Amino acid sequence: MNLAPHASILAIAVPLLGGFALPLWAKLHRRLGELWLFLVGAFTAAMVVLLAVQVFTGGIQVYTLGASSPGETLAPGGFPIRIMLVVDGMGAFTALISVLVALVSFLYAWRFLTEDHGKTLALTLGLLLWAGMLGMVLTGDLFNFFVFFEVTSIAACGLIGYRTWEARGVEAAFKTMVMYTVGGLLVLLAIAVLYGEHGALNLAYLSSRIQGSLPDRIALGLLLGGLLMKVGAVPAHMWAPDAYGEAPAQAVILLVANTQASLYGLLRILFTLFGGITDPVVGWLVTGLGTVTLVVAALMAVIQTDLGRLVAYGAVSQIGYMLLGVGVGFTVIRARPEYGLVAMQGGIFHMLNDAAAIGLLFLCVGAVERAAGARDLRGLGGLSHDLKWTAGFFLLGALALAGIPPLNGFASKFMIYESSFRLSPILTALATLASILLLAVFIRAFQGAFLGPRGKPSEPEPFGMVLAMGVLALAVLALGLAPDFFVRHLVAPAAEALWQGRDLYLAAVLGG
Amino acid sequence: MTGNLPFVVCMVFVALGLWTLLAKRNLIKLVIGLTLIENGVNLFLVALGYVQGGAVPIYTYAPPGVRMVLPTPQALTLTSIVIGLATTALALAFVVVIWRHRGTLDARKVRELRG
Amino acid sequence: MRLVTGEGYWSPLAWLAAAAGVLLLAGLLWSRGRRDWKRGTEEELPFLSGEAAPEGARVGGQHLYWGFVEGLRPYVERLRAFHSGFVADYVAWFVVVLAMALLVAMV
Repeated sequence: MNLAPHASILAIAVPLLGGFALPLWAKLHRRLGELWLFLVGAFTAAMVVLLAVQVFTGGIQVYTLGASSPGETLAPGGFPIRIMLVVDGMGAFTALISVLVALVSFLYAWRFLTEDHGKTLALTLGLLLWAGMLGMVLTGDLFNFFVFFEVTSIAACGLIGYRTWEARGVEAAFKTMVMYTVGGLLVLLAIAVLYGEHGALNLAYLSSRIQGSLPDRIALGLLLGGLLMKVGAVPAHMWAPDAYGEAPAQAVILLVANTQASLYGLLRILFTLFGGITDPVVGWLVTGLGTVTLVVAALMAVIQTDLGRLVAYGAVSQIGYMLLGVGVGFTVIRARPEYGLVAMQGGIFHMLNDAAAIGLLFLCVGAVERAAGARDLRGLGGLSHDLKWTAGFFLLGALALAGIPPLNGFASKFMIYESSFRLSPILTALATLASILLLAVFIRAFQGAFLGPRGKPSEPEPFGMVLAMGVLALAVLALGLAPDFFVRHLVAPAAEALWQGRDLYLAAVLGG
Repeated sequence: MTGNLPFVVCMVFVALGLWTLLAKRNLIKLVIGLTLIENGVNLFLVALGYVQGGAVPIYTYAPPGVRMVLPTPQALTLTSIVIGLATTALALAFVVVIWRHRGTLDARKVRELRG
Repeated sequence: MRLVTGEGYWSPLAWLAAAAGVLLLAGLLWSRGRRDWKRGTEEELPFLSGEAAPEGARVGGQHLYWGFVEGLRPYVERLRAFHSGFVADYVAWFVVVLAMALLVAMV
């Protein structure tokens, strides 16, 4: 059977069903569960890569569910009534990020978690979260976007709070749950408003009908608010340090990928759904919130004494860089395409770089917690004697995140700096300041946790965890040493799909 | 104006839910606030699909020549109710665990994570 | 092998070549330093303002960039007050973001 035309639906269905089947296999035998997880992960990854190759070589891929053939987008009346998946360059790019992060997360969890601490159930939730992310990224209609938004919310909160024997994780999970639910319901309200106005849920059809009436604008505001919260923009970011700081390491990197899937949703709504009516003021909002985010989060990271919470604020700060890049791009791309495009590419490239670098740091935090049993920097020290790999990886990730050349964070931040300078030098100055703060913060954390005389001896990290961290470290190095390759083949098509691909997107669904 | 009254009522629900979240301290009341918002949005969806004098949107039961209310919002509402059930159940489960650990349901006291 | 970044370009390989040159220069300077220091004597001990280091003292993470952090602390403490950990405050800030988004979308 030829699976290639069905790659997009299989990429969502297989991890969803595989996730629910995982505890059953693990019940039979522990090894069977691991084998099942491997098969599901490998198959889904293969499907997403296949889909991405199709998108990058052949253009937008449309898959209609319930039609006699996947390409039959319009019902007999010329109206797109069926549920469909629409994947363009940006969708494929974000899906690839989630694949990288999810595979690394499962590899890490293999040795990081133990069965009496809920390993199988955590992996099940991880698969569901992955399926939700892929669904958010691949779907072509708004209601399914909401459904997958809620799937990721529930799975993410489950992952934050499943360690019920500790109070902190559950507290973080409850707070995150409240925020996610309110945000999700306002997104649903916006979708209902759009449905009432235009009588459709299909993203492309709605985009062709939106003229900028009052209900349209209310819907835009509600969608922006809900998604900015889920992305973690200051000041609606407060759930993020709690969640990132308290979730177990293999879950945090999935949460980071989930943030980026939400950022994809924000971009899709700005550029495709409301691409016809939005004006640069919205770009200023995103730029402003991005700048505030990166400065505030970097400042908050300075005074943290808990290693996990410190890195969590670093992660929030990186979201600010992405928002700054795409916000500047959105603001100036019509007037000055040459700078706007570079800013967009910088913001989108930073999604990939951030997934690799901050993921590496979070995994190192997990290794530190596992070895030392504590994360308070005032008590840690000398861990590099036992955790040699972790120490090296932490330093690499920290330098990459602070934007030290020639690592990957520098390439994307450089693109953001140079293009945002064109909009306003103040933005560049603040962004550079935040980078300097982050460098100081991470050097302090490295010194506090890893350097110094050997404390109480701890067992070294197992091979599976080193391997998972090694994959991300390799990604950091490769992205840093050959940024032009990745920008040309992955990031440029994604940015192109956003700012000039709206007509193609509409044509792929509505025809002509 | 009366035509818009159902929508106004739905928005009152949403506003009440937000007010509950902002003003109440009890964790269970916060969850009730979430369900209030959810009910407001669900009612909004159903109200959107109503057609004056429309029949139940089941094709075989509708008498010929009668307009049916829109079926799509009802399908959406059903999905949304199921999702709401899951979120409410999960949030309440977290509340139970928090109560076991901390012995309080006051949101002002459940804030070890801050700063 | 160059990444266009608006004004100019970024080429990691050229940077690596330049870094290798700088490292070479640094090595050259270092190799011309004094070789007569004695291993295992008090010359190896850290210099703490000329005083003897107290027993068990160690420079931890919190001691690095001490002035930098203390200088920022008054500003950061103000920010820290916003992160109260109270769920209603989280929702209130979210409502603020929502209001800003609606305002921007309306105009």
